[in-house]
Amino acid sequence: MDYFRNMLGGPQGEGQTPSGAETVERLCERVSSSTLLDDRRDAVRALKALSKKFRLEVGTQAMDILINVLEQDRNDAEITGFTLDTLYHVMSNEPTDEEDTSAPVDSDLGGQFTEIFIKKSDNVSLLLSFLEEYDFHVRWPTVKLLTVLLTNRQKDLQEIILVIPMGVSRLMDLLSDSREIIRNDALLLLNQLTKGHANIQKIVAFENAFERIIDIIRDEGASDGGIVVEDCLLLLQNLLRNNASNQNFFKEGSFVQRLTPFFELESENSNKQGGWSAQKVTNMHLLLQLVRTLVSPNNPQNQTVACQKVMNQCGLLQELCSILMASGVPADVLTETINTVSEVIRGSTANQEYFASVLAPSTPPRPAIVVLLMSMVNEKQPFVLRCAVLYCFQSFLCKNEVGQSQIIQTLLPTAADANSITAGQLLCGGLFSADPLSNWFASVALLHAIVENHTQKEQLLRVQLATSLGNPPVSLLQQCCNMLSQGGKFQTRIGLLMVLCGWLCDCPIAVSHFLSNTANVPYLISQVSSSEGEEHEAIVQGLCAFLLGICMLYNDDKSEAFSKSALKQVIQNRIGLESFTDKLTQVAQNENYTRAAKKPHLYYKHPNEIVFDYSFTRLFKSLENEVLKAVSGSGGAINGRTLLGGDEDQYKALLREQEEVLSGLRQQLEEMQGQNSASERRVAELTDQVQQLRDQNALLKAHKGSQGTPPPVAASPSGASAEEVESLQREVDSLRSQLTEKDAQLQASAAGGDEDKENNPDGGAVLQASLARLQGEVASRDQEISGLKAEVTRLTTELQQKSTQSAEASSPESDAATAELQSRLQASESQVAALTEERNSLQERVKKSNEENLKLASNVRTLEEEKQNAGGDLREEMETLKKEQDDLLVLLADQDAKIDKYKTKLKELGQEVEDDDDDDDLDDDDDDDDEGDAD
Amino acid sequence: MSYAYLFKYIIIGDTGVGKSCLLLQFTDKRFQPVHDLTIGVEFGARMITIDGKQIKLQIWDTAGQESFRSITRSYYRGAAGALLVYDITRRDTFNHLTTWLEDARQHSNSNMVIMLIGNKSDLEARREVKKEEGEAFAREHGLIFMETSAKTAANVEEAFINTAKEIYQKIQDGVFDINNEANGIKIGPQHSPANQNMPAGGSGGNQGGGCC
Repeated sequence: MDYFRNMLGGPQGEGQTPSGAETVERLCERVSSSTLLDDRRDAVRALKALSKKFRLEVGTQAMDILINVLEQDRNDAEITGFTLDTLYHVMSNEPTDEEDTSAPVDSDLGGQFTEIFIKKSDNVSLLLSFLEEYDFHVRWPTVKLLTVLLTNRQKDLQEIILVIPMGVSRLMDLLSDSREIIRNDALLLLNQLTKGHANIQKIVAFENAFERIIDIIRDEGASDGGIVVEDCLLLLQNLLRNNASNQNFFKEGSFVQRLTPFFELESENSNKQGGWSAQKVTNMHLLLQLVRTLVSPNNPQNQTVACQKVMNQCGLLQELCSILMASGVPADVLTETINTVSEVIRGSTANQEYFASVLAPSTPPRPAIVVLLMSMVNEKQPFVLRCAVLYCFQSFLCKNEVGQSQIIQTLLPTAADANSITAGQLLCGGLFSADPLSNWFASVALLHAIVENHTQKEQLLRVQLATSLGNPPVSLLQQCCNMLSQGGKFQTRIGLLMVLCGWLCDCPIAVSHFLSNTANVPYLISQVSSSEGEEHEAIVQGLCAFLLGICMLYNDDKSEAFSKSALKQVIQNRIGLESFTDKLTQVAQNENYTRAAKKPHLYYKHPNEIVFDYSFTRLFKSLENEVLKAVSGSGGAINGRTLLGGDEDQYKALLREQEEVLSGLRQQLEEMQGQNSASERRVAELTDQVQQLRDQNALLKAHKGSQGTPPPVAASPSGASAEEVESLQREVDSLRSQLTEKDAQLQASAAGGDEDKENNPDGGAVLQASLARLQGEVASRDQEISGLKAEVTRLTTELQQKSTQSAEASSPESDAATAELQSRLQASESQVAALTEERNSLQERVKKSNEENLKLASNVRTLEEEKQNAGGDLREEMETLKKEQDDLLVLLADQDAKIDKYKTKLKELGQEVEDDDDDDDLDDDDDDDDEGDAD
Repeated sequence: MSYAYLFKYIIIGDTGVGKSCLLLQFTDKRFQPVHDLTIGVEFGARMITIDGKQIKLQIWDTAGQESFRSITRSYYRGAAGALLVYDITRRDTFNHLTTWLEDARQHSNSNMVIMLIGNKSDLEARREVKKEEGEAFAREHGLIFMETSAKTAANVEEAFINTAKEIYQKIQDGVFDINNEANGIKIGPQHSPANQNMPAGGSGGNQGGGCC
């Protein structure tokens, strides 16, 4: 000690103050070099004394040396304690009174030293091993040091401790330490340890944390306890929040039941003290939040339901409700209690029933719901409390059709009871109050009384309101519309629009009621088509668009002026599709919308933040697309439920139509095929005719050739012999035949030649006519084919449309039909192609026959010329022939006479002579031939 | 809701041997063919009756994957019973039993009852580990043995209940210190009037008292 004093005091005497760094350096040297434990202990104690003032110096120079001391001198509790304290001071960022406040302090110096320290995870293991040491001087600074390490570098240290065997367990054991200060600091340590680390939370829970913590809370006096209770509750929160496994364990371990007594309020006690201490308020808040963690709507459904059940059974809900109705409870605790009750009863029938039965201790006793609603529509109540009441009301009505009907019942005229205040009266009062926030609260409350409840929507239509004296009563629906059209504050209009949307949705009767007042739709139209761009107005416009869409979606078409199609027309013409869509989609993009859609709880701090209701955002989300479809969709059935069936019918009709078109096309095809074969036949005939004409032509040519050579005139006056006779006869015969031939030909050339002349052109004309007809036919077929083609393309596009449509509808029936149609279409397309080919070949043939025809015509012409020439020659020849004939006749007569003479002579000589009948026969044959040729 | 005793179990063994399915079958009486990989540790609970006494079982189902080993080790100490599970259709899961057993013995209290379970007994056709082998291993290491099927629920009840019976027997024999909750055993509220008065953490009360 003396040495220590000298060392510190010495420099003062010499007048030259050594810097802190120098002193720290000398102390470090002593710690590391001294062989005596006492010396080392003194040096460390000195370092500890300096460690607050010279954090940086001690931290930078002594860290390793101190860690070394922890390892080497662990058997000496005192030096270990000093070392741990020194390290604690170095790491801690907490300002102390000793610290030189004027010196510039790195804000995260402790964090940096922590980083250095935990770089070797063995150091953390070393610290944890000190926890086995029972000595207060070791255990307590170890706990403090670990806590500050965890505070500075939470994530890293959590991972290190998790990996150290029994690391978490050893820290948990600290809760069992009989020395309160260690137990209390252990609570702080565990709070840091478990923050945001599910696995550590589970291990801590496994180590009986719930049991131990709840014991501490109980022992410390529960909500009346001090800050230790607060730390315990924070730790419980840490262990349970977002940790389903631990929540399950908490419930299974029957720990919920153990919370119940903590909510018991000793009424006389609080009255005596005249108010709640700040600590009690904090403790109560944390207790309530603990309950909310267990039944949060964001937890798995089965988990929340199970906890809600337990809370009812073990009397926790009853305790909460008694706080609700107790006097002297601070407003913020009351608000949180209302929120807690909300979540305990939300969606749980048994709990909702209990809540409905709770009576306020007033005279006369009123249902708690009514008392709460009174606060909600009272603008003098704190804003958060009013929000909580609405949340409670919503939770009471969530999945609670009986509750909904009870609330609506109080609005109906039959149940009107002038003496008592009812929920219905309060809601109406709020709805028509001058306070926009009350309007909003009452609207949303009303919305929840009818949401997803068709019966109550219709019941609410019956509500009539008495207006000023002398005027007829007006329906609630109409009154809401009237208020809406009168303008008013933003929140009033939003509230009314939300309740109207919820009311009209899925309720065609309400829609027709709404439409029956002809002023309503024009108002909505004027709102939606307004171009005011201010944010709030944009929301109103979007909601008006949504309401219009709902009027369309759930329209029963009973009102002609505002039927589905009429509304659609109006929207498209007056607002425009694009503008309508813009206005509608703006709503969901609003940040207020996203905020409200997050969770049912109303966590608003300021009245201005209130715009949307959670359940409305769900309604909007589910209907937004349908509204857009209905407004922009291409007609058809749009009533939400029948939408799909209508589509199917549409497709079926389309299919039928297309089938008809197809069969028509098929008929046309058959006709065309018939025409085609007919024209083919005709072409064949024509080719035949052409062939015949050719043959005739050839024949004519041959004739011309034979006519070109004049018949030989062989008339040699021979002696009277048989040979001569025979030759003569032959000559005569040939002459005769030639003559007849000539005669015939002459006739032909005289008449038949003309005939021939006419005949051929006539045939040509016929040909040409038929050709023309053919061409006409071809043209008409061309037209038909192009028509067919057009139809085919139309069909294909229709088919494509249909296939996409059917893909949408994904109806296997229409798919099959479409496939069939397509195959049919392909078949008809190929048929058409075949037809076109045929047509082309026909055209070619026609062209050929045309050419042939032309050739024939020219042939005929040349033939005619030839014939004319031949005619002239023939006449000359004829004349010479006639002369010759005459000569021959004379000669013949002579010879006949001679022959007769010879005959008689021969008869006289006894020789038989034949008649010349044969000659005649031969002539006949020749004639026949000529006739055949003339044909 | 009241119980005579509360036992803490852990289920350990290689990944994919059917630990979570065994727990689900025991607590919910259902089988889930496709089960998510367990992350860390999951909790389940059920009440059973032994010897006419209500016994609450709190069961921690651990992740089999090696990466979670450091987390799951933390659960050994506080457990009264452990179900060590292997898959009879995967020889390697049987081969790893020694490692698991060493781990368990090292970190748990020495009285922890270990039940060896050959799971998936419904898949007889794909069996790779003979029942005799399991029995032999159990005999050698002083474990109880059973083959189960989480799918058909065969022997699942028995596995959990027989483990509880063994623990119960050890309590009757005075082997377990029932007042030390670190053993994974707790006496029910109505059975332990003295329990709450016990000093919770007086383990080292005799060492260096002078403080502050």
